[in-house]
Amino acid sequence: MADAGSGKTGWRATGHLLGLVAPGVIWIVVFLVAPAAYLMSIAFMTNGSYGLPELPFTWAAFKQLAGYGFLGWSPANLYVVGRTLVQTVLATGLVVVIAYPVAYYISRAPARLRPLMLLLVVVPSWTNQVIRAIGWMNILAPGTPLSDLAAALGLISPHMGLYPSQFAVALGLVYNFLPFMVLPLYAVFERLDTAQIDAARDLGAGVWGAFRHGVLPQTLPGLLAGTVLVAIPAFGMYVIPELLGGGKNLMLGSLVARQFAAASNWPFGAAAALIMILATLAGLVVLRRLGRRLGGDAGVML
Amino acid sequence: MWYALLVLLYAPLAVVVVYSFNSVNSSADFVGVSLRWYRALFADDTILAAAWNSAVLALVSSMLATAIGTALGYGMYAHRARRLGWLIWLIYLPIIMPDIVYGIAQLSFFSRLAAATQIFDLGLGTMIIAHVSFQAPFVALLVYSRLVGLDPRLFDACSDLYANAWQRARFFILPTLQPAIVAGFFLALTLSIDDFVISYFTSGPESVTLPIFIWSAIKRGISPEINAIATLMIGTVLAAAAITLAFQYVRHRQSGE
Amino acid sequence: MTQPSSPTVSPDTADNTPRADTAIRLRGLYQAFGADAVALAGVDLDIPAGSFFTLLGPSGCGKTSLLRVIAGLDTPDAGTLHIGARDVTRVAAHKRNVNTVFQSYALFGHLDVAGNIGFGLRMHGHDRATINDRVQKTAAFIQIDNLLGRRIDQLSGGQRQRVALARALVNEPDVLLLDEPLSALDAGLRSRLQLELLRIQRRLGMTFVFVTHDQDEAMVMSDYVAVLNEGRIEQVGTPATLYERPANPFVARFMGHANLFAIRARDATGLTTDFGRLAGEFARADHVLIRPEIMTIHAADAPEVASAGDNVIHGRVRERLYRGSRMEYTVAAGETELVVVDDNRGQGMFEIGAGVALVMETTGVVTLDG
Repeated sequence: MADAGSGKTGWRATGHLLGLVAPGVIWIVVFLVAPAAYLMSIAFMTNGSYGLPELPFTWAAFKQLAGYGFLGWSPANLYVVGRTLVQTVLATGLVVVIAYPVAYYISRAPARLRPLMLLLVVVPSWTNQVIRAIGWMNILAPGTPLSDLAAALGLISPHMGLYPSQFAVALGLVYNFLPFMVLPLYAVFERLDTAQIDAARDLGAGVWGAFRHGVLPQTLPGLLAGTVLVAIPAFGMYVIPELLGGGKNLMLGSLVARQFAAASNWPFGAAAALIMILATLAGLVVLRRLGRRLGGDAGVML
Repeated sequence: MWYALLVLLYAPLAVVVVYSFNSVNSSADFVGVSLRWYRALFADDTILAAAWNSAVLALVSSMLATAIGTALGYGMYAHRARRLGWLIWLIYLPIIMPDIVYGIAQLSFFSRLAAATQIFDLGLGTMIIAHVSFQAPFVALLVYSRLVGLDPRLFDACSDLYANAWQRARFFILPTLQPAIVAGFFLALTLSIDDFVISYFTSGPESVTLPIFIWSAIKRGISPEINAIATLMIGTVLAAAAITLAFQYVRHRQSGE
Repeated sequence: MTQPSSPTVSPDTADNTPRADTAIRLRGLYQAFGADAVALAGVDLDIPAGSFFTLLGPSGCGKTSLLRVIAGLDTPDAGTLHIGARDVTRVAAHKRNVNTVFQSYALFGHLDVAGNIGFGLRMHGHDRATINDRVQKTAAFIQIDNLLGRRIDQLSGGQRQRVALARALVNEPDVLLLDEPLSALDAGLRSRLQLELLRIQRRLGMTFVFVTHDQDEAMVMSDYVAVLNEGRIEQVGTPATLYERPANPFVARFMGHANLFAIRARDATGLTTDFGRLAGEFARADHVLIRPEIMTIHAADAPEVASAGDNVIHGRVRERLYRGSRMEYTVAAGETELVVVDDNRGQGMFEIGAGVALVMETTGVVTLDG
């Protein structure tokens, strides 16, 4: 295959490789890996007088994250971590529940309509996420029809509005990430082997059994890919909780951001960011393992 | 159910558009149609500067990312027989890293570096650098997947038909990759337009973009003027979607079906 | 067309200057991808100019590797390769006057049919008028001049095959290489294109090197066939030689149905093998080969059997396959089974379990070593 893949390597081939990938690799290493490494080192530094990191190395930031402050132990930070996890799981679950039938519906539509339908699902996500949040702020603000309805039903106290609230954050997350679940699920539904459903029915399975054995296993790779694409960014989400959640519903992303803005405690913020990275990696590893166990292949990761 | 979904998807955008034409400052009552917020918009130099910054950021970063990402994607393909696992990880890193972590990592790095060297400041330059570093991997993956989908014998066919390395790049690889490169450019563009967090943390006082302007405005309370800017941005995206659709339609027609 | 001279497998020839009528000469070609993957284990071969030459073998035998080395797409680890009088062992593919029709055709999707056919001429730097003219002529020759403006994804399999052929032929190569070009086509189209390829080769008098795993295809089309196995050449010869005088059991089995048995004992009057005794004078060898069609099958008590002499094998029908023009029987005899074919002349079929006698002429029986 000439230079496009044969086993013959040498200095020329190496030079060729470096020439092609070096700009990208250097760019990512210098402008992403190095900053990330620096951030991680900050997590182990001392918080200086202006919130900037100083030596010596210490575990102070992590202790602070765990809740040990000047006034003794407080669970506030752990609540933030817990709330972030709950919101992530809730949002991912809701996205699956909505996206699954939607993806199926699109895959059964006439072939020439499908690209248009997919485009309709995806287009809102092309707008800036701040603008999407503004849309929900407009809809859920106090005095709007939806808020009045919720107040009339006694769900919220009058004049409060549906935002800012946990509910608004969950809604915002679901709205934001829906396309990321629909697309991979559509991809698996489009290739669905319906003979397996017939086989399940033929072998005496009911509707649930046919779904459980004929459909679900085939869609698992898409489900896992979608979960990776939704849960990981949802866990690190900053804009939506910040705009729709208000001060009382802090998520991890906001906690991190504040340490680099108003509160100015870089080591503490870096420690929280490190926890975020570790949680992301752990989630990724678990989902990959799950993917392999369930018979999916490398295709689970894009 | 499908129509309920469409309502859910487009209601927030529609609300923004509708209230941008509201003649009074309220998100609860729509009183009458007015263009006063748009007039205010175009009279505001800060906003016009922010729009200019947004456009420069999106276009320059997308062009850089397309060039770098295309070379990266082709390099990954041409040397896929070798052990390039580290390269895959490096490319996935920007894709999986939470954008808030991404943003503060670059904020801390660039601001310390700027303070230490005194030769640059946070601004449009650092924003472009940051954007390219998360756009390029997406372009690379698009280009790579296009190449992997090709019959590898096509490369042989080029050599067999007397093309040297340069001719092969010029007459086969580039024309074949063209759709992937164009798609990569537009993907980079939407990634840049969609981003707020990374821009926010790598920006300087002189490089406010539209989303950053909107963000700080919302922090003071939402105004119809914000809705008007947002409407214009939504309009741009819808126009892009329409162009995409038209493009697909034309290609569909060309393939003779 | 002049009948090409007989090819040779001649590792021991000291003569190293290629003869004028040799299109390709391979000496000691060796290629390995890692220690366990030897693709070519020392290949010596002369391919006569103007011949339809087939490389035949099972998948993984090295035939495609050999083709790629001739095309210049891979470089051998050892050995030399001459095309005509020129040593091209280290010459890059794009500098060799050799063209290939690839398996699955490898047509360029971003170009139309004319663009594909003209690609090689364009890379050679010919001017537009020359390219158009030669593309037109070649397309007319292959009878695809009505397709020149089409896009590749609008073509059928057979049309793609022709475009790939035209794209190679337009360059007037010294040698045309064909890598299983018909394997993706259905049976009917396939046999039509076999005939067409053969006619084109005869009209042009060009050297065709054709790779296939299908022995029927190889026999129908080739002047000469080289049978490859595990990176080595087992035998080179005309289809008739390979079928009737295989050099070893591998070739015998690969070239169609073979009743092949180890010889247990041999004396002046005949030999003993699994199904019993075979009378006649045979050369000293390890195996005996009896092709199904040299035998006739009869009822055990038929008059022909009584008058047939010594070489009659008695047995029972174990399986029978009705193939329309002929019947194919598997007959149990002695400790083994033989396959025999019987032309359908309306004589009816033997039942399974029926006692039968197989009669043969010893002139058709072949003994071989290995």
